[in-house]
Amino acid sequence: MEEDKISLRHYFSSFGTAVKNGNIFTRLSLIIMGLGHWANGQIVKGCIVTAVEAIFIWVISLIGGTYWPKLNTLGTVQREEKFDPLTMTKTVNHFDNSLLILLFSIVGIVIVFFFAIYYIYNIKQIYEVQKRKEAGLHVNTFKEDCREMINGKFFITLLGLPTIGVILVNVIPIIFMTCIGFTNYDIDHQPPTYLFTWVGLRNFKTLFTSSVSDSFGYVFIRILIWTLIWAVVATFTTFFGGIFLAKFINDKRTKLPAMWRTFFVITIAIPQFVTLLLVGKMFGNNGIVNGICSQIGLTGFLQDIGLVSKGLGYIPFLSKPGWAHVMIILINIWVGVPFQMLSATGLLMNIPTDQLEAAKIDGASERQIFWKITMPYIMFVMGPSLVTSIIANINNFNVIYLLTTDFTTTNMKFANSHGKEVDLLITWLFNLTNNYSNFKMASVIGIITFVICVALTLLSFSKFVQGDREEEFQ
Amino acid sequence: MTNTKNISDNPIVIKAPVSKRIVRPILRHVWLAFLSFIWLLPIIWLFVTSLSGYSGINTSHFFPETWSLRNYKKLLFQPDTVANFPAWFKNSMIIGIFTCLISSIFVMMTAYAFSCMRFKGRKQLMSFSITLGMFPGVLSMIAIYFVMKMIGLTNSIVGLIIIYSAGSGLGFLILKGFFDTISGSLRESAKLDGASELTIFTKIVIPLSKPMIVYTVINAFLTPWMDFVMAQLMIRSKDPRNWTVAMGLYNLVQKTLVGKYFSVFCAGGVMVAIPISILFVIMQKFYVEGITAGGVKG
Repeated sequence: MEEDKISLRHYFSSFGTAVKNGNIFTRLSLIIMGLGHWANGQIVKGCIVTAVEAIFIWVISLIGGTYWPKLNTLGTVQREEKFDPLTMTKTVNHFDNSLLILLFSIVGIVIVFFFAIYYIYNIKQIYEVQKRKEAGLHVNTFKEDCREMINGKFFITLLGLPTIGVILVNVIPIIFMTCIGFTNYDIDHQPPTYLFTWVGLRNFKTLFTSSVSDSFGYVFIRILIWTLIWAVVATFTTFFGGIFLAKFINDKRTKLPAMWRTFFVITIAIPQFVTLLLVGKMFGNNGIVNGICSQIGLTGFLQDIGLVSKGLGYIPFLSKPGWAHVMIILINIWVGVPFQMLSATGLLMNIPTDQLEAAKIDGASERQIFWKITMPYIMFVMGPSLVTSIIANINNFNVIYLLTTDFTTTNMKFANSHGKEVDLLITWLFNLTNNYSNFKMASVIGIITFVICVALTLLSFSKFVQGDREEEFQ
Repeated sequence: MTNTKNISDNPIVIKAPVSKRIVRPILRHVWLAFLSFIWLLPIIWLFVTSLSGYSGINTSHFFPETWSLRNYKKLLFQPDTVANFPAWFKNSMIIGIFTCLISSIFVMMTAYAFSCMRFKGRKQLMSFSITLGMFPGVLSMIAIYFVMKMIGLTNSIVGLIIIYSAGSGLGFLILKGFFDTISGSLRESAKLDGASELTIFTKIVIPLSKPMIVYTVINAFLTPWMDFVMAQLMIRSKDPRNWTVAMGLYNLVQKTLVGKYFSVFCAGGVMVAIPISILFVIMQKFYVEGITAGGVKG
């Protein structure tokens, strides 16, 4: 953090020096960005830079003129249609579209941000060239500058396109959806017919309070608890299940390990949405498992011991809370264990054998070797990825969504907030947006999910990007 | 332990007790067979149902009473108003190939920049990308929809390709981990010989990372085959000819259609599974390598 601050200060102070010590052309480049390049004899580069500036001014004057002034209200003129009986045509007034105002304003801000970085970079560069020229050193020609783009500055070429892509489908959408959390964009305020506007922290308050009419607070807590339980249980069951299975199959007393492994791997090869939909139908209220259970009398037995209420003619595997929770976790074991088995197999093969041999010579039993050498090794390598899998499971949309398509809640509080007992935060928010257009609450839930994930990652963050370990392998 | 005692007490009895010699291995394999049975059961059901002589769902028998290939015939040669598998397959194929091309290139580029080059703000940019990747994807989907609508690319295959591949630069971690293991001195000596970074990237680093790149490529190809939520959100067309395989198959098991199309869905599932299984067999080896290589880096 401290390091970041220093480098940030240096970033701006070097810009200040460039402006202060630059000659007249360098300073004039603050207005016309190509001027310094022209003065230093870099004609083509100067033209390109000036063209970029011109495009920027043109785009910003369009966005800035139309959308920015309305950003504080998100529009005031509502759409009105007038029917003209004489000409038999409908005329629509010049209305505001809150959605477009917000979206374009954000796009504009992102453009300004990146232009500012480029602007500062440009001035610094011109100042560098000016100094070189004054010292009588060689000034790069356009051709040399181009060569530099595949050499010393190759990273700019490499990261350029991917960055634009990420800005388009990650950064802008995320900023946009976060902003929606502070507006009243829902089914009653849908552009283009209606306007929406800023409401401050009201949606957050709704999420954390529970009253007779509003059940968001209650449902949020229930779903949050289930999400966390699910994430932890799903991660650990598949993690240890996979390791034990891999250990079992790779044991030298097991004959034909490759065959057994293939049996499990087959389940991965079939796309997840196919298997999940299939298993969901198998365990449906009228599915084949229920058909067989009632044939062999299991349904009746469960009714007798009270696990299934008498009124039902079937076992509610995926349609009643409790049953559904357990089934989802069991089915997830079915889905997830083969994956873990595969990666654990790779690990088990890589364990340094000298350690195992030494332990054997010292008379350690199988069990001791497994718990004292194998497990610590696996935990050392896979430990950090456990946090990643917990986060992946918090956001595990497919399993829950595909298995619970037929689940309907009977709890009024859940029904009022369009949630289900088996929903994760992520499926709840998808349902809110896709079926009920409640974008404001979905956004708030999304922000909270994000905060939880970031908090979890910070626990293991240093392990991911710790630059210190990179060089060890080079 | 009983073993050693036996040996010292009575040299003739050197065999372990029967339970240990015969029963245990049998139990071990019975247990494995039982687990495999559970894991394979749904797959077998998928397969046999796809070969059934009726198109709906059978709830009382595991194996169909009548067998035939008519579900496959229907799927492949008789497209109707809800099921048009050839068109779906074509769409998914086009999306898959382009996504695979663009996103593998993006991943390789970002991974190289972050692993092999040193520049200001590199670590900050990496932390930023990782944080960005943690934002719930489902939430930004809606916003992506608005952005795409703004550019006018909803309801089109091009739009889906952009969505699947544009953000792929964020998935650089595993490949970067692999690039990190390539010796730095190799690159240094190439530089001394006058090679540019571009040459080092294309002529040295990429050929050396073939296994991981195969993994990346296949993974990128599979993404659009597995995803249906994004596709459903983007492609609002009611005409099944514009759908992808995942969307179409998902639609077949919705409440109103499942009674008539369940076996067709199973046949479709088998049809998709075959190419993916082949790819997976190729990838399996690299998958294991990739996970361990990425894992060691942490």
